[in-house]
Amino acid sequence: MTRWRFLARRLAMLVASLLVASFVIFSAVQVAPGSALSALTGGRALPAASVAALSARYHLNDPFFEQYWYWLDNVLHGNLGTSIEWRENVTTLMRSLAGTTAGLVLYAAVIIVVLGVGLGVASGLRPGGWLDSSVLVATAVSAAVPSFIAAMVLIAVFAVQLGWFPPLGNGSGFGDTIWHLTLPAVALAVSSLAIVARVTRAAVREEAGREHVQTAVSRGIPYRHIVSRHILRNAAIPITTVAGITIASLIAVDAVVETAFSINGLGSLLVQAAEDKDLAVVQGISLVLVAAFVVINLVVDLLYAVLDPRVVLGTAAR
Amino acid sequence: MRAHRRPSLALALAVTATSAVALLASGCGKSLSSATSGSTAGDVSPTAGLVVTSPVGTQPVSQVTWALYRDVDSLDPAFAFDYPENTAISLMCESLLRQEPNGAIAPGLATVSTPTPTSVIFTIRKGATFWDGHPVTPADVVYSLQRQEAPALGGFYGQVFDRVKSIAATGSDQVTLTLSQPDYWLEGELSSMAGVIIEKAYAVKEGKNYGTPVGGIMCTGDYELSSWSPATGVVATANPHYWNGPTPVTKEIILKGVADNNALTAGLETGSISGTFVSGGEPTLPQLRASKAVKVYQGPGESTDAMIISATSGPLTNVKVRQALSLAVNRQAVIDNVYMGAALPAKWLTNPGTFGYGTSTLDQMYNAAPALKQNIAEAKKLVRQAGATGQTITIGTSQEMVGISYEAGVYEQAAQAIGLKVAFKNVSAQDFINFFTDPNFRKGVDMFPTTNYGDYAGPEGLLETLALPGGSQNYDNFNDPKITQLMDQSRSTADPVIRAKLMAEAEQEAAVTLPWIPTCQPTTVTVLNAKLTGATTSFSYMFAPWAGSLGGTS
Repeated sequence: MTRWRFLARRLAMLVASLLVASFVIFSAVQVAPGSALSALTGGRALPAASVAALSARYHLNDPFFEQYWYWLDNVLHGNLGTSIEWRENVTTLMRSLAGTTAGLVLYAAVIIVVLGVGLGVASGLRPGGWLDSSVLVATAVSAAVPSFIAAMVLIAVFAVQLGWFPPLGNGSGFGDTIWHLTLPAVALAVSSLAIVARVTRAAVREEAGREHVQTAVSRGIPYRHIVSRHILRNAAIPITTVAGITIASLIAVDAVVETAFSINGLGSLLVQAAEDKDLAVVQGISLVLVAAFVVINLVVDLLYAVLDPRVVLGTAAR
Repeated sequence: MRAHRRPSLALALAVTATSAVALLASGCGKSLSSATSGSTAGDVSPTAGLVVTSPVGTQPVSQVTWALYRDVDSLDPAFAFDYPENTAISLMCESLLRQEPNGAIAPGLATVSTPTPTSVIFTIRKGATFWDGHPVTPADVVYSLQRQEAPALGGFYGQVFDRVKSIAATGSDQVTLTLSQPDYWLEGELSSMAGVIIEKAYAVKEGKNYGTPVGGIMCTGDYELSSWSPATGVVATANPHYWNGPTPVTKEIILKGVADNNALTAGLETGSISGTFVSGGEPTLPQLRASKAVKVYQGPGESTDAMIISATSGPLTNVKVRQALSLAVNRQAVIDNVYMGAALPAKWLTNPGTFGYGTSTLDQMYNAAPALKQNIAEAKKLVRQAGATGQTITIGTSQEMVGISYEAGVYEQAAQAIGLKVAFKNVSAQDFINFFTDPNFRKGVDMFPTTNYGDYAGPEGLLETLALPGGSQNYDNFNDPKITQLMDQSRSTADPVIRAKLMAEAEQEAAVTLPWIPTCQPTTVTVLNAKLTGATTSFSYMFAPWAGSLGGTS
């Protein structure tokens, strides 16, 4: 029962987060520089009648709360509104782009988990070895590299110089898409990867030095059993926490990477929409991103219970 | 006729200096003298050496990816005002008349005649059909034009029809526009976005979805829309049943938004991007010129880089102060550092690339006009005469836009050198456009830089918006009766040579009374993959089909 109550509570929290986020973002776009009318008219001086028609169509002159309520009411009826720039339904717009963004974030997440955890475990189990030293140096450097710098370097080296990967674009079909998204996924993953590797390394080292592990070693239990049962199992909680947080944070960085690699996804659309004060699009995408963030955190919490049966959902202090 | 909007310039790399001579002497036009613009008897054209098209491509090409500075977000000609939309619509759609690469106006979907000064008759050409095979009818023409005119749609070109009293089908292949007063500028406008003909039945069926990814479009051009989604961009394929010529040899063109300069350059160098028209300054131009993977063409431009005068009080309302500033400014610095050499020195407020009619008259008068040379001593004298020494002018700028803030700095230097003080109103890249649209926003701002163009190749296209009383960009209520009278007369004059002469006189006057201060005249830069050729390389790509001859080099 507690499990269901936990889920119900988290669901309520999700709805509350979305509501608060939507209001904050709505207000932020309103006070941000620029005006939607500028985007609508493209800076061309239009006759007053045209301006009036456009303003009425997009409710530009209504008071703030009325505009917000108008938007919220539509959302509750399943309508995210119409994009000013594209003159098209926001849901339709997002649907065509969500796959690319989800694919890119997922690709980066896989890189972070596989390489980050893998390298962290490998170096944590053999502290001081050549692999450990290399991982330490490499992660120290890459943790500090912002993704737009990573993008520039990756394009210059792997696209222009070596010609292994395309410098930009989404690709079409599964294989081609993977090929196109590789450099962006690496750019997106690189600093998080370093953090996850470092935390993993520290957690593994700490667990490896514990008394029960030393005891198990002295009793001659096979090493791989010790690693999997005693070290990794116990190190899993901090690793999951940091991996979860960094992967959720990819959602925010995604816009930068999509723009740098000219990928048409939710992130690049969000940037364009914010520049044009295309409120319905900014709101729609933000809601999806906030929801994804909350859901990833929920998944991490659920994982705790799986990894450590002592954790009781909804009661454990996090 | 609009403000150049390119916030992505904010991401552009730092401006680097390079030689202007290298680009102008690049020689891409030397072997193509037959294709160069403005061949006038005896006189050297001001746009000599610039090419209006690249050599025709003959080899089949399966797919071309063409970069725009951002993705296309509308294919409705009524809402096309910026580079991406214009490029996409002109690729696939045709207007009543057609602006040739050299700026001349030729028949398009129709031929034109003016039996009386206040009636314009368009006769639809035989065999003109939409992509779906339906013939172009007078009903389609009437619908397309009235749709553009209607204020309810909120389209950008309603004002074009100021002097149009009625639009009516007057025969099985004929549409007559009845005017309230003669208007010989209308033909230019109808060779551009305002004159694009769409299929009535299709547009009515799609309603407000027309021109969106959901509704699509129905046009007549040699490329047809095959798919369009925000994820993949606009995909156009060669129209196998094109009514007015052979099917293009390049099978498919993908229009892709590439906002990042670094990605664009990498894409061009690796062949992921096959070509692009460079809009505004391109900081990596020297790198692209040096690359063997691409060829850089320089063609006539139609945009003007200028300082907009928005002062309604203070020193700049005095013509002597404007003249002084114009004398003091270092134009070459802007040409070298913002345009990487890809711009001509300014003489008038209008780019000589717009001399689409009466070309030899305009060329001769332009050549005879004095060059705008820097002369600080003379400028100082003018400021003293105006009694403006020590007064302050406020420049509107955005430090997030590299070109804009560089030009603001060049004018600051000029002003300080002649005894004026300078203040800045610095705004975000997104807000910069408000200087154009919001009178309260530009209150207290005396001037701000722009790159600006008209709707078609005519010397009046830009000037009418800024020099005529009530003009859409006449922010300082500029009123020079001589200019107004000359332009009014020109607009009503049937003979293109006389019309051109009147316009040239108006331009000469404007270069003295300075409604705006011209900085330089950007040329059109086209970057093409070395294996590709045939694209239009003049500013006409903004208004007329530009890819019909695109193909592989033989």
